Parts: sequence; C-alpha cells; structure tokens
Amino acid sequence: MNLPDWVEPVARYMLAEGLTGTLKIAAIALAGSALIGITLGTLLTIRFLPTRALIRFYIEVWRGLPILVTIFLIFFWLPEVSDRLRFGPLTAAAIGLTLWGSAQVAETTRGAVESIPREQHEASSALGFGWVGRHLFVILPQALRRLLPPMVGLLANIIQNTTIAQVIGASELLETGERQVERLTASPPIGLGEVHAFEIYAAVMVVFFLISFPLIRLAAYLERRVV
Amino acid sequence: MTTALAVAFDWSYLSENADELLAGLRRTLQVSAIAIVGAFFIGLVLGAARAHRVPVVSQLAAIYVEVIRNTPILVQIFMLFFALPPLGITLEAFTVAWLAVMIWGGAFNTENFRAGFEAVPQRYREAGLALGFGRISTFFNVTLPIGGRIALPSSINTYISVVKNTSLMYVISYPELTKSALDIQALTLQTTETFTVLAVGYLVIVWTMSALIRLLESHLALPEER
Repeated sequence: MNLPDWVEPVARYMLAEGLTGTLKIAAIALAGSALIGITLGTLLTIRFLPTRALIRFYIEVWRGLPILVTIFLIFFWLPEVSDRLRFGPLTAAAIGLTLWGSAQVAETTRGAVESIPREQHEASSALGFGWVGRHLFVILPQALRRLLPPMVGLLANIIQNTTIAQVIGASELLETGERQVERLTASPPIGLGEVHAFEIYAAVMVVFFLISFPLIRLAAYLERRVV
Repeated sequence: MTTALAVAFDWSYLSENADELLAGLRRTLQVSAIAIVGAFFIGLVLGAARAHRVPVVSQLAAIYVEVIRNTPILVQIFMLFFALPPLGITLEAFTVAWLAVMIWGGAFNTENFRAGFEAVPQRYREAGLALGFGRISTFFNVTLPIGGRIALPSSINTYISVVKNTSLMYVISYPELTKSALDIQALTLQTTETFTVLAVGYLVIVWTMSALIRLLESHLALPEER
C-alpha cells in the first residue's frame, strides 16, 4: 500500500507535536485531579457543615459547568483579575480539566472512603493514629482499590476532553490536525490546494479510539475484579 | 485600581445584551431539546435491541456505541461540519448542532437503556410470556416500564451532558449561549459580566436537571426498593 506523499510529514507533526501536547495536558490534569479530588473527597466525609458545604459547592460548580466554559474562564477571565494569573493555552486547559476531574474524583472518593467499615477507623484510633494518620495509612489505601476503576475511566475521559483545548489554540492532537488541514488547503508552494479534512480528522478519531478503547475496557475489567 | 474595575459587575450589561443572550439561551435549549428527544428514541430502540440480542442490529449498535464513546465529541463535530462538505455533504451549523449531540447522547443512552432492560429479572419476562403476552407486548408491558425506570436516572445524566456539550457548537460558530456571550465579550470587553452570565445560565439548567433526577428517583422507585 502506497500512501500519498503528503501523509508522512503530516503524521509526524501530528504525533510529535499534537499527541505529545495531548498527553502532557492529560498527565497534568490526571495528577492534579487525583491529588485535589482525593483530598477533598476525604475531607467531605468529616461531619462539619461549613467544610462540607464548601466542598459540595466546589464539586457542583466544576461538574456543572461545560468544560469549554471553565477553560475560557481560566484563559480569558483570570488575566483580568490579576496579571499573574495569565496562563498559556496548554496550562489553562490542564487547569480547567483538573477542576472538572477533581470534582469527579472527590465524589467517588467520598463514596469509597465511606464504604470502609467503621471498625477500621476504630482499630486504627486504638493503635494511636490521629485523623490524618488514620486516613493516610489505613483508610485511603483500602479506598484506593475501589477508586482504581473509576480513575482509569476518568483518564480516558480526560484524554478525550483535552481536545477542548483546541478552542484556545493549545497544540494538542486535534489542533495540530486542523493546522495541517489548513496548510494542505493552501495553494502551492505552501500547501497542495487539496482538502484532506476527512482523512486527517478520521485519523484523529482513530488515535483517540486506540487510546480510549483499551482504557474503558480495563476500567470495566477492574470494576468486576476489584469490587 | 484596574483590578477593582475589572472585577466589578456592570449591571447595564444585562439590559443592553438581554436580547442576544436570551436568543442564545433559547438556541441552547432548542438544540438540547431536539437532541434529548432523539437520544431518547435511539437509546430506547438500540438499548432494547442490545438487551434482547436482536441479530445484526445488536452488533451494529455495539459498534456505534464504542465508536462514539471512545472518540472525543469535539472531533465528531469537526467530522460533521468540516470533513463532510469536501465529500459533497454540507450540513448547516444548526443541523450539526443538534445532530452531533443527538448521535453522542444516543450512544450513551443505548448503554443506559441496555443496562436498565438487562436489570429486569428474567422471571418477570417469563411471567409475562406465561400470561399469554407476545414478545413485543411483554417488552412494552413488562420490560419497558420496569427497565425504563431503572435507566431513568442515568439517562437524565446523559441529557445533562448533552446540554453541556451544546457549548462546543462554539467551534462551528452556531450562536448558542456560549458563542453569543463570547461574541458580546469580544465587542464590549466585559469579561466578568460575560462569564457570570454564562456560569449562572449553565448552572441553573444543570442543577435543575439534577434536582429532577433526585425527585424522580424517589417518585419512580420500584415498590420493592422503597
């Protein structure tokens, strides 16, 4: 099978520049979501109304807003509040996805932590653990087992949602694909004067499918095994 | 000084842009409503086909679900709006707006309904067949009322996502709520006001729908779960 000449440089650019950007945004967003989400979700199990109300509000706002609006908010509004809050497209997208992802993780963490039997709390208290030590060394390690399947599913969703960063021009897979479509459409010598939108966007779909399908399958498998 | 100015809320923003913002909100709701109705029927038909393993339809539905679930909706929108015209199929922005979220919601709803129908105990269906109902009427009288109730909360969650995803029509310049608000922002530079209106608008819609789930959950719960 012989591919046309234009394919190779386009594919190389989209994978080197675009896929790297996609994975970079996803990695930051996953780490941030896990860190903030697990912390907030654990704090949500404390029966103290003000903290619960505050965390609930955080969860409902960032789960309720479309991710696109959240990313716009960070990219366009924060710089008006303070000049130090001016972020590049990649960072802004990663922050937006972190806000959304951490809200999802917080909700699941609450359920996972509350599913740990009371005896575990009592036993670790009896051993002299304080609240922090008890949760960090006894409760959370057990809750993490329950958290793993939804976290794998979340990773798949985060990776898919990195495409929203395209709207603010972050160099992720869809954006690099669009740049190549436009370049090829331009007349020679810059481009070919040909429209290859279908092939390029179909390729973007295939790449995302190849990443997401195994992850969703893995999440379903873990769900059956772990819980 | 400038910080204080930027964060202050100018109330005249609302009165001056009310028409455009309301038109945007109306389009968001309109596109969402069409997509939700479509996604409901897609989910119902394909979910039933999946749960009852109707040959061919079931396999095709499985492929449809996996393709849509495992690819970003934004790329699906790009496909419909930017990749089809060179192939001779040109769709209006409005058509792409409702079609894209309908296809997306339909795939997730197929899974919701499939899970709901499969959760109906086999003995209920057997009882229906034993009473002389045919397969079709057993579905409409037994499986649908029970499985539909089980699927309802998760399907409303899908509809909430459908509404949120209409904001992505920004990329095809369809003037729904997000696009309308950001167009105003581009003209007036009233960023704080724009995002306040956007956030309040979406949160009111989404929170209302979530409240509806809780309301329906207690109202429609199966007798044995009460």
